[in-house]
Amino acid sequence: MSRFMEYGVTLFAWVSGLILVSTIGSLLTFLLYKGIPALSLPLIFGETGPIDGLLLRKEVFDGLFPAIVGTLLLVIISVIWAIPIGVAGGIYLAEYCKLEWKSFFNFFLDVLAGIPSILVGLFGFTVSIFLHKHLSREVYPCLLISSLALACLVLPYIIRTTEQALRDLPFSIKTTGLVLGSSKLQNILFILIPYSFSRIISGIILAIGRCAEDTAVIMLTGVVAMAGIPSTLFSQYEALPFYIYYISSDFGSQEELMTGYGASLILLFICTFLFTLARILKKKVAIRFANLI
Amino acid sequence: MKKIKIKVDGLNFYYHQKRVLKDLKAELEENLITVISGPSGEGKTTFLMSLNRIYESIPQSRMDGKIMMKFGGGYVDIHSLSPSSLRKKVGMVFQYPNPLPMSIFKNVAFPLKLSGIKDKSYVAGRVEEVLKDAFLWDEVKDRLMDSALKLSGGQQQRLCISRAMIMQPEVMLLDEPTSSLDKDAADKIEKLLLNFKGRCTFVIVSHDGDLIGRIADRVLTLKGGKF
Repeated sequence: MSRFMEYGVTLFAWVSGLILVSTIGSLLTFLLYKGIPALSLPLIFGETGPIDGLLLRKEVFDGLFPAIVGTLLLVIISVIWAIPIGVAGGIYLAEYCKLEWKSFFNFFLDVLAGIPSILVGLFGFTVSIFLHKHLSREVYPCLLISSLALACLVLPYIIRTTEQALRDLPFSIKTTGLVLGSSKLQNILFILIPYSFSRIISGIILAIGRCAEDTAVIMLTGVVAMAGIPSTLFSQYEALPFYIYYISSDFGSQEELMTGYGASLILLFICTFLFTLARILKKKVAIRFANLI
Repeated sequence: MKKIKIKVDGLNFYYHQKRVLKDLKAELEENLITVISGPSGEGKTTFLMSLNRIYESIPQSRMDGKIMMKFGGGYVDIHSLSPSSLRKKVGMVFQYPNPLPMSIFKNVAFPLKLSGIKDKSYVAGRVEEVLKDAFLWDEVKDRLMDSALKLSGGQQQRLCISRAMIMQPEVMLLDEPTSSLDKDAADKIEKLLLNFKGRCTFVIVSHDGDLIGRIADRVLTLKGGKF
């Protein structure tokens, strides 16, 4: 390769990196600039006292608190559905699936990953109508339906990362347990998962981000503008992404739009909090795995 | 009279459609060190992997032919045993050391735990014994709870051999155990192998002519998929 090409490629790599960093930087700066002035206790708790609101002694009607709780619940419940199925699916594809079946499953996984989220939302909505007609008149679009639909949306991420993480392990690591006489399951539990745990968690972090930001799915499956804090899985709920969408598309005044920026910043904090939690878990669980044996 | 531990008859091995081992026949003697040598890419490691059926973890690989091993007085077809019970009798160590991300003690005790042995004093005793046999005890006795990943390459390889030996396998397979190590570390592995000699049947893949000359009881050269 000529010297000119060498410099050209290096320069292009640097510029690309710079564009990435500056884009994220500008986005964050813009959000902080617009969002920080809007942040206040009344934005979150409205006219209700913060302690009363936090302890659920009084309902918050004109603040973001129910949407914050709704978002947190939605992400946590969705991930609770998606993690066991996603990780087990990834393990199946990497360790148990016969070659002739693999392309069949991969095709469906690619289709699932490529489905627009609005269609997943529509599917969730259809399921809730079906359940309403055939199972119980009490079933409507709700937190449960939203979380299941979101779990479907993020399953491909978790399955793919788990599968890839297990498959990328070197042969000598992959077979460490097997050559010592372990069963296939022991090898998966004691060797393969601890070794690839950090990459599996990366997939889960991606899934958390996707669950927290998706609006299309929840719009059709249970989120509403005013619902308060959901009392059961069958309740409707509020969520920050929907609030941000709703305010930005239909704001009545500049002050109202500012609350949208405040909500965006809070959503960003929630995502950061969940990512940090996932990273702490990653470290803690990795240590536990090492001490398991 | 020769005591035969492993009888290989008509062994063919395929990766996808490629035939790597061709109608291989061999008889390996009990408690001796047999070294498999030969040019690269001729199937030496494949031969080792067929002896403990670890090739079954490689997609689209298959073998036909018969491998019989003498366990408990009679010859047994290795395919009649479950993979895990076969591998408890046939240990294996790879070219590059692969300690687990846990303490030195736990690494060596790992196979015992896998077998459900919980007697702490027995486990501690066996760990000490194999580490002494591998001339590693004096180097690690004061830091058994340190991560095994902190050991040098040579120490890690001796740890992996100790880990494989703790189950007292009847056959040990070693795939170029010294090729990734410097001379001092390789010498220690050689000393270790001579120390273990006579306790089980060793099948070692090696390119190291000097090592072969010093430790091998028998050398088989694999070329063109045949001995």
